[in-house]
Amino acid sequence: MAQKIIFNIIQVLVVMIFSPLVKGVFDRLKERVQSKQGPGIFQPYRDIFKLFHKDEIISEESSWIFRFTPYMVFTAPIFVTLLIPVLTSYPLFFAFMGDMLAGGSILALGGFFATLAAIDTGNPYGAMGASRTRMVGFLAEPVFMIVFFTVSFVAGSTIPYIVQQAWVTPIANFFAPAHVLVMLAFLMLIIAENGRIPVDNPSGHFELAMIDESKGLEYSGRGAALMKWGGCMKFFVLLCIFLNVLVCPWGLATTGSFFELLLAIPLVLLKMLGFIVILVVIESSLSKLRLFRISEFMVAAFVTSVVAVVIQLIEL
Amino acid sequence: MELFIILLIPVIVTFVCIIPVKGYMLSARATIIGSFAVLVVSSSMAFAPGLSAHGGPIAFGGWLFCDGFSALIVLLVSFVGFTASLFSLGYMKRMETEMETEYEPGQFRIYYALYNLFLLSMLAVPIFSNVALVWIAVELTTLLSVFLVGFENSSEALEAAWKYVVLTCMGAAIALVGVLILYWGLRLTGTDQFTWSQLFHAAPKMQPVFLKTAFLFILIGFGTKAGLVPLHTWLPDAHSQAPSPVCALLSGIETTTALYIIIRLVPLMTTISGNMASPWLITFGMISVGTAAFLLIQVKDYKRLFAFSTIEHMGIILVAVGLAGSAANLGAVSQIVAHTITKSFCFFAAGATLLVTGTRDISRVRGLIRTSPAAGAALLVGGFAIAGAPPFAVFVSEFSIIRAGLAAGHYLVIGGLVLFIVIAFCGIMSHINGMVFGIPLEKTAAKPVLPAACKFALAIAVVPVVLFGIYYPHAIHTLMQFAALSMGR
Amino acid sequence: MIQVNALAGGLFILTVFGIVAMRQVIGILRLFVAQSILLAGSACILGYEYSSIHLFVVAGITVFTKAFLIPWLLYHMLTHEIHARREITQVFNIPVSLFISAGLVICSYFMVRPLLNTDPSAFLRVNLPIGVAGLFIGGYAVIARREALPQLFGILTMENGAFLAGACIAPNLPLMAELAAAFDVLIIALVVGLLTRSINKRTGTTLVGRMTRLKEE
Repeated sequence: MAQKIIFNIIQVLVVMIFSPLVKGVFDRLKERVQSKQGPGIFQPYRDIFKLFHKDEIISEESSWIFRFTPYMVFTAPIFVTLLIPVLTSYPLFFAFMGDMLAGGSILALGGFFATLAAIDTGNPYGAMGASRTRMVGFLAEPVFMIVFFTVSFVAGSTIPYIVQQAWVTPIANFFAPAHVLVMLAFLMLIIAENGRIPVDNPSGHFELAMIDESKGLEYSGRGAALMKWGGCMKFFVLLCIFLNVLVCPWGLATTGSFFELLLAIPLVLLKMLGFIVILVVIESSLSKLRLFRISEFMVAAFVTSVVAVVIQLIEL
Repeated sequence: MELFIILLIPVIVTFVCIIPVKGYMLSARATIIGSFAVLVVSSSMAFAPGLSAHGGPIAFGGWLFCDGFSALIVLLVSFVGFTASLFSLGYMKRMETEMETEYEPGQFRIYYALYNLFLLSMLAVPIFSNVALVWIAVELTTLLSVFLVGFENSSEALEAAWKYVVLTCMGAAIALVGVLILYWGLRLTGTDQFTWSQLFHAAPKMQPVFLKTAFLFILIGFGTKAGLVPLHTWLPDAHSQAPSPVCALLSGIETTTALYIIIRLVPLMTTISGNMASPWLITFGMISVGTAAFLLIQVKDYKRLFAFSTIEHMGIILVAVGLAGSAANLGAVSQIVAHTITKSFCFFAAGATLLVTGTRDISRVRGLIRTSPAAGAALLVGGFAIAGAPPFAVFVSEFSIIRAGLAAGHYLVIGGLVLFIVIAFCGIMSHINGMVFGIPLEKTAAKPVLPAACKFALAIAVVPVVLFGIYYPHAIHTLMQFAALSMGR
Repeated sequence: MIQVNALAGGLFILTVFGIVAMRQVIGILRLFVAQSILLAGSACILGYEYSSIHLFVVAGITVFTKAFLIPWLLYHMLTHEIHARREITQVFNIPVSLFISAGLVICSYFMVRPLLNTDPSAFLRVNLPIGVAGLFIGGYAVIARREALPQLFGILTMENGAFLAGACIAPNLPLMAELAAAFDVLIIALVVGLLTRSINKRTGTTLVGRMTRLKEE
């Protein structure tokens, strides 16, 4: 029991510590692919550290929501971490509290507060970004739902620990078309949810074209640091769900041994590195969609997952 | 052996046509001689004593075959092929000198080469015994005639050609699935030869679900090609924009070759309990006849008039097949014969009218009998014949269908059919009447007279139209009875 | 093997969706190549499973004509159209088209279900519904598209769907028929390509959906 709690805490610490690193590697790789020098892979740590030591300025017009939001954004991924397999392939102490749907809702709660906070200050760009985020979100949510339902339909459960076993036992299930299509749909979702090209350009600095970034424009100092860190952790957590549950459930700790848990950390990071390379290729080879074409992108994801359900039906 | 020769002649003529000599008269003459030879061989085959309803010559180890029904279709194809090649000679000469677009002789050689290939594909449809190959032959009839439809190269002609190829290829793809399902069902009974006769023998053993599904796919797929409503939208365009001799082939016989396959399936369907084919055939047929009858009234283009009449006739044939019974089958066969010879003649008459007036508009052709007696008379005879007035072939065949239907007690169907035929008759005759007898328009300058070849083609094509309205010669009547038997067995 | 075949089928249906949704002609061309390779892959798996040399030949022909010859031919006949044309307006917008296509998949499944009951083969359960769905969605693409080349690829998709169904329901069709069918597909591409070129020459556009000179008044 105590060991499981310790493992759970280690899991949370891993997410907190390594998530800026993942982002740093990602940015660096992307710049390299585009033949630029790029910042070092530890740049996000330096940014967060720097922001913690700066003064925070909060608009007089804003309400408690604005002040509360950074904590919400920061803690939501941590709660999700307790529920999903990050390092172990067996449920840890808090995992009984919720399934994948609960994880999705907690992340959505963080997003919801971020949206409210963006409107709160009265900055026009914030409201614009918020409304666009909602548009993407409202298109993405049905897809989220149907992907989860497909997954649970195939695996007979929405508990991530059961799902991850269903894909690989027997190994032939890995090649089932429903699985591949669900992976594809979820990949499209991750892109949309994290504001990646072709849905949004995360490195754009032009407020009129921003979707995700403009929500955090008003934050400074500690608030900005928490928002940034929370964003990194959200990305990390989504990657964990995608990689450990859907794509590649190997390389996790299967027994209670401490050594195996430590070994799982580099393996998970390696998996993430592999996936990041794919994501970088996607980001560098596509261009951003126009705002009203995003609906087509999301419908493509939706139809992909519907087809996955249909094929699953046909096969059974 | 005859079967092989019938297919070989168009191939040889095609090669002659693409010889790059000066002018195109060589290819024109070769086509006329070749199609006449095909006509001679096919009539010798069709009237040979060895032919019966279920048997006849076979060649190439069973890949080619011929029974009564096939022989009839081959005969019709070769007859229209011959008259249309004659008409082409005069028509192409006139196109070369009169029309606005400039043509090079090479284009005419290509026209003749494609003409022969098109003829070849249509001859192959009834002769091939393997159903998969028949499907390919039908698909080739489309693909080889696309450039004939678009030959005049105006934007309208190209639009018509586009609609034609896209819609009929879609239909063919649907029919392909039907053919494959048919083969699947056949294979499950332990038969491996995918021929019409094996299919018929195996049909009682096949599971009904295969036959039903395959029949529906093929009905919809090849129904598109036969111009059944609501899949007909390409037909009036293609059949009005193509050069007139090609229209005669398309409208007169190509639609019939598509129907041929559907009709071949009908005896298979009667083997399963609760013959499912009849209601479908009658429904599709009645919708086609009805829609075409009303659309006939409002046409502005006289070639479209005849194209809609084709849709109407396809519908009548389908209804006749759907009524089932030996009398209705004979009626269907005589309708096929009458439609083919009459419709090709009609398009020759329409082509002649186009040559002397230079317009396709009904409203701009008036008093044709005075300005050009030959074309006017041809149009008048054609109009009467296709609308179903006595004493022409279509009247006899429609009458026999109606009689057969009434005898079998299908009063409702026949009542509707008669109503639509009367509407169509009025529609066709009001247009034709104005064109032939109206007061000539002031401006129409006297165009040159018809080329001799066109007159000759009209003279040959009119013979069976009138003759079959009075009586069927014994040999042809026997052939038609064979065909009706193979439909109903 | 069953799973791999199902995977090929699933990806096949995805390429069919792509042909409905894709805007650029070059993208459709690439998808068509991928689709044909998947078709050949499925034929190979079935050939291995039924130990039929025949299906391997079919797969070879498919790859040669559809993945190599037809794209090459079209590319050289219509280089400009393939690169320059992109379809701005379909008859319906793309999300609606995709939903209709998803509906057609379900439709085709229920349509072939009576046939599936006759034969419990697992390959059949994949290839037949997906092939028929390819047929229908290809037909839908022809109707919904306004550009010439996307319409052509709609037709070719229909043929591919028919062949995918055929690979499992008629694995031993006479070779002559298979060869002729492959030849036939080649002629479709050639004829429609040439026709597109003359339409472009004549009217200056390949927007065939806008050609409405001929209609009933």
